[in-house]
Amino acid sequence: MNESTVPVFSVLDVEKRFLLRKGRGGPVELRALDGVRLDIEAGSSVALVGESGSGKSTLVRMLLGLDRPGEGRVLYDGIDLQQVLARDRSRFAREVAFVYQDARGSMNPRFTIGEIIGEPMRVHRLHPAQDIPRRVALLLERVGLPASVAVRYPHQLSGGQVRRVAVARALAQEPRVIMADEAVAGLDVSVQASLLNLLRELVAELKVTLVFVTHDLGVASYLCNRIAVMYLGRILETGPVDSILQGPAHPYTRGLLESFPRFDRPLRAPLRGEIPSPVDLPAGCRFASRCPCVQPQCTEADPVARALDGRRLVACLFPLSGEVAAA
Amino acid sequence: MPMATRRSALAEGWSAVWAQRSARWGMGIVLAYVLAALFAPWLATHDPVHQAVEASMQPPSAAHWLGTDSFGQDIYSRLLYGARLALAIGFGSVLLGMVAGVALGLLAGLAGGRTEWAIMRVVDGLLAFPELILAMAFLAVLGPGVDNLVYALALSFVGPFARTVRSDVLQVRAQPYVEAARLMGVPMREIVVRHVLLNVAPGIVVQAGIRVSIAILLESGLSFLGVGVAPPTPDWGLMIAEGRAFITMAPWIAGIPGVALAILLVALNLLADGLRDALDPRSGEAR
Ligand SMILES: Nc1ncnc2c1ncn2[C@@H]1O[C@H](COP(=O)(O)OP(=O)(O)O)[C@@H](O)[C@H]1O
Ligand code: SF4
Ligand SMILES: [Mg+2]
Repeated sequence: MNESTVPVFSVLDVEKRFLLRKGRGGPVELRALDGVRLDIEAGSSVALVGESGSGKSTLVRMLLGLDRPGEGRVLYDGIDLQQVLARDRSRFAREVAFVYQDARGSMNPRFTIGEIIGEPMRVHRLHPAQDIPRRVALLLERVGLPASVAVRYPHQLSGGQVRRVAVARALAQEPRVIMADEAVAGLDVSVQASLLNLLRELVAELKVTLVFVTHDLGVASYLCNRIAVMYLGRILETGPVDSILQGPAHPYTRGLLESFPRFDRPLRAPLRGEIPSPVDLPAGCRFASRCPCVQPQCTEADPVARALDGRRLVACLFPLSGEVAAA
Repeated sequence: MPMATRRSALAEGWSAVWAQRSARWGMGIVLAYVLAALFAPWLATHDPVHQAVEASMQPPSAAHWLGTDSFGQDIYSRLLYGARLALAIGFGSVLLGMVAGVALGLLAGLAGGRTEWAIMRVVDGLLAFPELILAMAFLAVLGPGVDNLVYALALSFVGPFARTVRSDVLQVRAQPYVEAARLMGVPMREIVVRHVLLNVAPGIVVQAGIRVSIAILLESGLSFLGVGVAPPTPDWGLMIAEGRAFITMAPWIAGIPGVALAILLVALNLLADGLRDALDPRSGEAR
């Protein structure tokens, strides 16, 4: 059995519906995830990119086992995640770390930073109790915070500092996989940049697998080597960062790239129209209402993800090809 | 390390209470009452239940510092022993009601489902009656007496404690840090103690502080109404009831225990407010 060929995570046609109780007419079904396929290879760094409401957080919660897929399966090391959790939850908890979007909210307000970072080491007995304060100081230094922060409380730190503490806590459990949901969103640009630099260094240095959720293509391409573009609960395109940036195969990806200013490319019109409601998905391609390349067939068949040039998956009936050849 | 940081958190909490002027007043006054109650046998000048009809209704004098009541009992001595009773019943009943209420509230909030439903129906039943009515009904069944008064008051506090603890638990449980702890592999038992209980504890402490003054007021009220402790026990409620008939002739008989009660209640409330502010992690020094 060759370990390296089994992805750390495999998402197999996962679907998640939420029942919303809305006024008259009974409950309404919201499809947060719909036929999601994704492989996350060991050592890769994958960015989940998409507009707000596209299902990124829901997908991450599935990967973490916080929510069960309605249909489809999530595999961890090739084994069904539910089975992994039933067998040894503690090992999975140690191997997969999560950095919350609400970093401050993810920390007990009555714990000092030292206790917060020390908790995973203590729980998983990674170090003898008397070594933990020293380890905490090392981790704080690693994420660029002074050791004196250890005696402070979360509410005493700035937004950027709290995110660094969240990263330090993730590192404390010596994980194989780190997942982060919008870990740099809502910060000043300079704070964002320094946090991104830190994350990039850490990923390179520790060789962890990274799953990074962001709505910002620039952040995604800076930090990750693979991108998965989500739209209305489906991954529309997956592939290596450079080939996607140089030649997006899905019209939605191209739209995103165009609405995101780049020095080497003239700024073109951003995506037109509104995202349809996830409680009332259109028939056929979910992007058809905004797609500049829409064809009559697009409203009939719902395109599934298909392999393109061996390295990418694209969910479009008429993938863009011109630029792909050049890549 | 965790022990050391917890102790310093306690010390920090203490100094945060002390830093507030009104809380300092409250604490000082309550402390004075507690000392008076503890040392009542040494501080008292007379036997608090010794009746001397020939010396009844005397105004304050050298022999009777705060005067005497209609039975000739020394008011100063009765006041001291009354503080003993008031504080013992106040703290005792709150402690008892708190233990039961917190246990029920925690169980309901953590277990959910049918257990929660059943517990909360019982709690709703308890809460349907005002505290005074519930305690009176209980005393009517069991008869008067200090023990029964403590049980009656404790019972009347179970509902409020259980309800606030449950809602605090539900609120804390929904916090991302609880989910984060679970995700990190923190065992359930530890999550309950270190994450949930630690965060609902301040609310419990503050509520207990406020309830002590309610308990003392209810205790005096019930005795005043004649269903609490029985005479001649030195009790402020009884003293006020007894002096009520002579309020124009000998105002000190009802007035002195009334003022003593009022001062204690205000002091307890100041202290409880101070505790609440001190226990809020977001108050105190700014970032
Ligand atoms: N617990 C939930 N109940 C109902 N709807 C939900 C729930 N969580 C997410 N959703 C819906 O699912 C969709 C995807 O949400 P989310 O995964 O948070 O998107 P993103 O993280 O990409 O912004 C949204 O339409 C959101 O409103
Ligand atoms: S399937 Fe059709 S509508 Fe959908 S993205 Fe492709 S071209 Fe556009
Ligand atoms: Mg999100």
